[in-house]
Amino acid sequence: MSHSTPPDCEPNATSTLPEQPGVLVVRKHHFLVRWSHWLNVPILHGLILSGISIYWASPVYQHNPDPNTGNVDVAADIGIWICAHMPGLHHYSSPPDWIYNHMSLGPGMLGLALRLHWLCAYLFMLNGMVYVAGLVMGAGWRSLLPRRTDLLDALRMFRYYLGFPFAKLARRKWLHPFFNTKYNALQRAAYFSVPVAGLLSVATGWAIHKPMQLHWLAALFGGYNATRVWHFWLMWVDILFVVPHVTLVIADGRDTLRSMIVGWSTRLERSEVIASEP
Amino acid sequence: MNRKENGGDSLQPTDIPSTGIEPKQEMAELPEAGPEDANASVPMARENEKAKAVEAIKQQVDADGSPWLSVDHEPRTEEAASSVAVKSVSVKKPQSFFGERPLPAIEMAPRVLFHQSRRDFLVLGAGALAALTSAGFLLPQDTLSRMGIDRNMDSPGKEWFLNKALRIDDDVAEALYSGTRRVPTYTKSQITPLKNNYNGATPDLGYISGWKLTLDGLASGLSISLDIRNLLTRFPMQEQITRLVCVEGWSAIAWWAGLRFDDLLRAYSPMSQAKWASVESSVNLDASGNPDPYFMSLDLATARHRQTLLATHFNGQPLTVDHGAPLRLLVPVKLGLKNVKAITRITYVAEEPRDYWAERGYSRYDGI
Repeated sequence: MSHSTPPDCEPNATSTLPEQPGVLVVRKHHFLVRWSHWLNVPILHGLILSGISIYWASPVYQHNPDPNTGNVDVAADIGIWICAHMPGLHHYSSPPDWIYNHMSLGPGMLGLALRLHWLCAYLFMLNGMVYVAGLVMGAGWRSLLPRRTDLLDALRMFRYYLGFPFAKLARRKWLHPFFNTKYNALQRAAYFSVPVAGLLSVATGWAIHKPMQLHWLAALFGGYNATRVWHFWLMWVDILFVVPHVTLVIADGRDTLRSMIVGWSTRLERSEVIASEP
Repeated sequence: MNRKENGGDSLQPTDIPSTGIEPKQEMAELPEAGPEDANASVPMARENEKAKAVEAIKQQVDADGSPWLSVDHEPRTEEAASSVAVKSVSVKKPQSFFGERPLPAIEMAPRVLFHQSRRDFLVLGAGALAALTSAGFLLPQDTLSRMGIDRNMDSPGKEWFLNKALRIDDDVAEALYSGTRRVPTYTKSQITPLKNNYNGATPDLGYISGWKLTLDGLASGLSISLDIRNLLTRFPMQEQITRLVCVEGWSAIAWWAGLRFDDLLRAYSPMSQAKWASVESSVNLDASGNPDPYFMSLDLATARHRQTLLATHFNGQPLTVDHGAPLRLLVPVKLGLKNVKAITRITYVAEEPRDYWAERGYSRYDGI
């Protein structure tokens, strides 16, 4: 652990304030990683909302036409069910569209949704390159690589998260499993697999966007129709990641969230643990 | 994997100084230790024996020392060792390439940290505002209205911008296209049902008896009319089982037969400057059954692709009205909406012609 002045810190900054002691911080996220992280928020919103509008035109999950309504779309069924069972929605004007009205740009706008989807998809790919550049330049990629001990450690973390609310309620002590790396095993699994899922989303996206010129790519995922299913569920991987991700960041406190904005963290213990644990 | 290496790494700050000193101390003792050993065995020249003993002890030190010691020791020469010893606190032991490094800790002046952080927060806020603004700018009016924004946000800039993005995608599609690359073909057992996807009403079959295909924009300057018998007898028939992919996302594997577009282009060559074909169907109807002529642009490079057919048969039978009797375009390297049913006219032109679906917000090139 070196106490030298960081290269981007103004040289006379410390000398102008000699009475103030320096603050020790660790550099946690490269600025390109932070940029691409936050850019993902609008881009993924655009991709998912326009994606579900595209899904509307030809749903992956269909059944035989309903004898009364002629409906074939499972998502429309869910909307109908919600409108029938949720208080206040009994008079909803178009129950089959409920899902699309609330989880997408809306039904019946395929052309627009496609254009927005391509726009966001190209931005997403560019942003992915920014992220990879940030990982390489900040050397953060090493913290994401899976380890041999990860499976067991992930189970320990999982047990910790499961027991945490009960321990809080019972006012019992509930110790966080010890780890001496930037991320715990569960975080590492998530932060490693989500970029992989992003890459697969891009690959399956290209495969269904260009199923003739890139037919080998669709074949890799089991053919055109199977690739559409892949693409659909990869979206859910993203959504299912974001929910606990945001929850846990908020639960973890200010430092974690701030470090993704400013790049530094005041949590030195992990950096010291790495440096001095026997 | 890391814990061990990190452990080794961690010992450095306290232990490295001693690695520089210890060998020195042992060497200082050598003159006494060496001769004693030598005397016990074969008598030899004192100088040689001393050197050998030094060697032996050096090796012993290396062997007894923990791994980090030997690795650290190696690159240094004996003279350098003593002088570098104190400074070497900061010398890092080389780690595995994939091993996680400790996070770099730095000392920052609180003011600098505060200013940098404030800047980052402001940038994030500005970015969030920019994202919201561009969402308001780019999202469809229907979506905005549903979100409670009733103000009309439609602008010519929005269309321009989205079309620009669409053109980039078209250019990528064109770059991906290869005239020699074939689309996958399938066996008859893989055939899947193909629905009638006429966007409007399906035309009444009355048009078939008087049907003719008109060719315009030819090198000869003539306008040619062909009936279906001309086409069926003059050109060799090609069969193929290929996938038709709709812009909506569904697809169908179907068995087609017909003449190659390329053969028609050879028989009636287009004017020399032509780069596009405008393929039209005058029998197309809108949803309420009124005439709604369909027109579609097709680049001649795609028209010349070996799997681009003017199809006359579907599943071994002449085309039915549902599937565009008596002649439809089958261009498997394009989306289904370019596969015009019931073609009545093909015009070869130099400039990109109008396209029915491009005018309704879809792509122009539609290469897949």
